[in-house]
Amino acid sequence: MTFLNFWLSMNNRSGFKVQGSRFQVYLLLVVAFAFTLSCSSEQSENAKVQERLSMTELQQFTSGKKIYKQRCQNCHMEDGEGLGKLIPPLKNSNYLLENLPEAVRSIKYGLKGPIIVNGKSYNQPMPANPNLTNIEILELMIYITNAWDNPGAEIDLGVVESVFE
Amino acid sequence: MKKLNLISILLVTLIIASCGGKSTSILPILGRQEYKEVNGKLDTIYHTVPDFSFVDQDSTEVTEDTFSDKIYVADFFFGTCPTICPVMKQQMLRVYDAFKDNPKFGILSHTIDPGHDTVAYLKDFSVKLGVPDNNTWHFVTGDKDDIYEIGSAAGYMVPVGEDADAPGGYIHSGAFILVDQERRIRGFYDGTKPMDVTALINDIPKLLAEYE
Repeated sequence: MTFLNFWLSMNNRSGFKVQGSRFQVYLLLVVAFAFTLSCSSEQSENAKVQERLSMTELQQFTSGKKIYKQRCQNCHMEDGEGLGKLIPPLKNSNYLLENLPEAVRSIKYGLKGPIIVNGKSYNQPMPANPNLTNIEILELMIYITNAWDNPGAEIDLGVVESVFE
Repeated sequence: MKKLNLISILLVTLIIASCGGKSTSILPILGRQEYKEVNGKLDTIYHTVPDFSFVDQDSTEVTEDTFSDKIYVADFFFGTCPTICPVMKQQMLRVYDAFKDNPKFGILSHTIDPGHDTVAYLKDFSVKLGVPDNNTWHFVTGDKDDIYEIGSAAGYMVPVGEDADAPGGYIHSGAFILVDQERRIRGFYDGTKPMDVTALINDIPKLLAEYE
């Protein structure tokens, strides 16, 4: 009972504020709109990916991004640029985009020894991810071949499965 | 309505106060403190990093004297680390790029895998990372026990050690530790979080200002 009274009195008291809080809501909307505008350049980048990929592939792209964050991002970085001459980029990487089966294989089994990426030599071991399923590897491949303005790639579950046959 | 005004005035004051205060604030002195009586007065003895001697990527001996007129940031890593090290190094590069031309500033990165990370390896690693010389940033190796000791509660107060279960075989903290000229610890920052490293980049000038 006392709680109900309290609640009612609070509501009454706030009656005065209605005008003020409505103004705040408007202000919030304007700010939110401004933010959306400022981010529009990023959206156009994603728009290309959305145009390119089917609904299913888009879902796989999103799942792939999650896996990337957990297993890859610490080294290859959020922007896919890698790290100096230590860790090769995935963004605009010929090693990745021109040899998909090799990329699939190295995701699962890792890499050791020197490789050439975009004409530069890298020699840092890459850890294996033996627990990833074929579907997870496909999701990851769809993400890294489409993210960061990468052009996309012809890949489906068949390509991944044929690598491990 | 009056109440609302009062609240907004309070809020604005709070915001101004919190913004204005930051630029002049003094960084805390961290670690366990001890008190000693000297001539009837109580002196505070702060935790300091003990003496050390390591060798850096250019085979130069690095000791506490290397940083006697500098403030520095310390961290722990290993070259073949598959987890947090690359992102730590990417973030430390931000710190390096911001302060590499300041002779009062240094960086000290300890490998925790001295068996693998030799002087030659560290040189190759640092050059590939984009650090051409040892003027500011020292990548050091040394006796394994010494490295673990300086990382422990006696030194930088961070977890460092071997662990067969950890990816890569070692565990280590992702912390960047800010140390002043008196070898007192003035801040811990998570080297894997860009926001935390931005805070470090903002704090370094404050600490430098103490010695101007």
